[in-house]
Amino acid sequence: MSKFTEKIAAFTERHPTLYRCVVTGENVFKKAIFGCQDCGQCVLSYNAFVCCMRCPKQMRNGPCGGTRPDGHCEVYPNRHCIWWLINKRAKWMRRQAKLRKYHVPVDRRLEHTSAWMNMFAGRILPIDLSRELHEVELPKREPPPKR
Amino acid sequence: MVSGSRLERLLRQGEFVVCGEMSPPQGADKASILKKCEYFRGYVDAVNLTDNQTAIVRMSSVMSSVFVIEGGCEPVMQMTCRDRNRLAQQSDLLGAYAAGIRNVLCLTGDYQSFGNHPEAKGVFDLDSVQLIHAVADMNAGKFMSGEEIKPPPAFFIGGAANPFAEPLDLRIIRLGKKIAAGCHFIQTQPVFDWPRFEKWMSLVRDEGLDQQVFILVGVMPVRSVKALTYMRDEVPGMSIAEEYIKRMESAQDPKEEGVKICVELIKRLRETPGVKGVHIMPVMWESITPRLVEEAGLLPRPEPITIEEPAEPEPAETTKDA
Ligand code: SF4
Ligand code: SF4
Repeated sequence: MSKFTEKIAAFTERHPTLYRCVVTGENVFKKAIFGCQDCGQCVLSYNAFVCCMRCPKQMRNGPCGGTRPDGHCEVYPNRHCIWWLINKRAKWMRRQAKLRKYHVPVDRRLEHTSAWMNMFAGRILPIDLSRELHEVELPKREPPPKR
Repeated sequence: MVSGSRLERLLRQGEFVVCGEMSPPQGADKASILKKCEYFRGYVDAVNLTDNQTAIVRMSSVMSSVFVIEGGCEPVMQMTCRDRNRLAQQSDLLGAYAAGIRNVLCLTGDYQSFGNHPEAKGVFDLDSVQLIHAVADMNAGKFMSGEEIKPPPAFFIGGAANPFAEPLDLRIIRLGKKIAAGCHFIQTQPVFDWPRFEKWMSLVRDEGLDQQVFILVGVMPVRSVKALTYMRDEVPGMSIAEEYIKRMESAQDPKEEGVKICVELIKRLRETPGVKGVHIMPVMWESITPRLVEEAGLLPRPEPITIEEPAEPEPAETTKDA
């Protein structure tokens, strides 16, 4: 993001105890509010603040072909399809334009790391609170944090 | 022209194409594939080979596609994200191209719990949009890692669309994403609900997507009313109009009625603007394909003009990030 945030990330990642605190704090917060699955590369701001990694197929670019007429998931008929929820919430928040973003494949090395620190270090897409879709530079292929 | 496959050449010539579909055998049985090719040779322009459809183990779609080439038809190899990670997908694609396969249909795949190995681990390393993107990158000479491929493959890339599942507006957005990722043709789920299909198609036309991609619409001949009610109740994301269920129920000979409905739909699709072909998917009833094609008035199948045009830059490659 910027030199300053990169420094914060580098500092945190140099101190294992501090890093663990950040990961735990982020996890507790995001799990409670968004149902975070700890993928370490957050796309919440593109998906109307509903976590798409709760989908059993972990679809990051839209729903699979199996969503039921009542908006429930093909795999778990008792739950809503995550993408149905995202679409509903995006319409309500008028953030549907943001759903057009193509998301690159998940970097599996970043799973169970802190998405906030990854964002500070410039490894992943930065959070984007605006309603419109902007051209953003793809993040560099930085190595994951040492663990 | 990307791959120069028969399917691609016919589509670019503006022909109304017909695709068939074959499920590979549930055994180490090459002869049955060659036998089934008889139903397709000369009747359809390409045959889809399913990749462990509904998560039931069958012969691999790569090898069955190779046998289909031997049988004298052109395959459309389906590739799902359920069973392979990105390494296996890329290596299979390289092998498939070397074996002469030119069309690939990229799918996410049915969830493993629907199949005969429900205890398996699903991979889902990529999703279908990312897979389409990866194949387009391979066409451009790059692995997903960014390393160079020498020589690169040249696939005619397909994607799937389901006009019948909710939410409709998001499905159009997703179709746009697939096209931006580098998809050349789209195959849809079978139509049994014409009003809903019309609605989807008009949204597609409004966005101008039918101009950027070849849309092949699925049709399915059914043998009994049970097949229809099963699809309505058990197959997620399918929509069956009551009209067809009533027709099948009251028919003297349900098989004949199924064929009639299917032929009617094909004729109707031919008149629909933006539809570039049909994809006939007779699940385990491949032998009906020649009759359907004939009764729909789609015989004889055209031959592609053989003059090679100079390679043109790919239109879908530019807007990767939108
Ligand atoms: S996108 Fe990833 S980091 Fe963000 S909430 Fe979902 S699982 Fe957590
Ligand atoms: S129906 Fe929705 S939540 Fe369920 S697997 Fe498909 S995309 Fe994921």
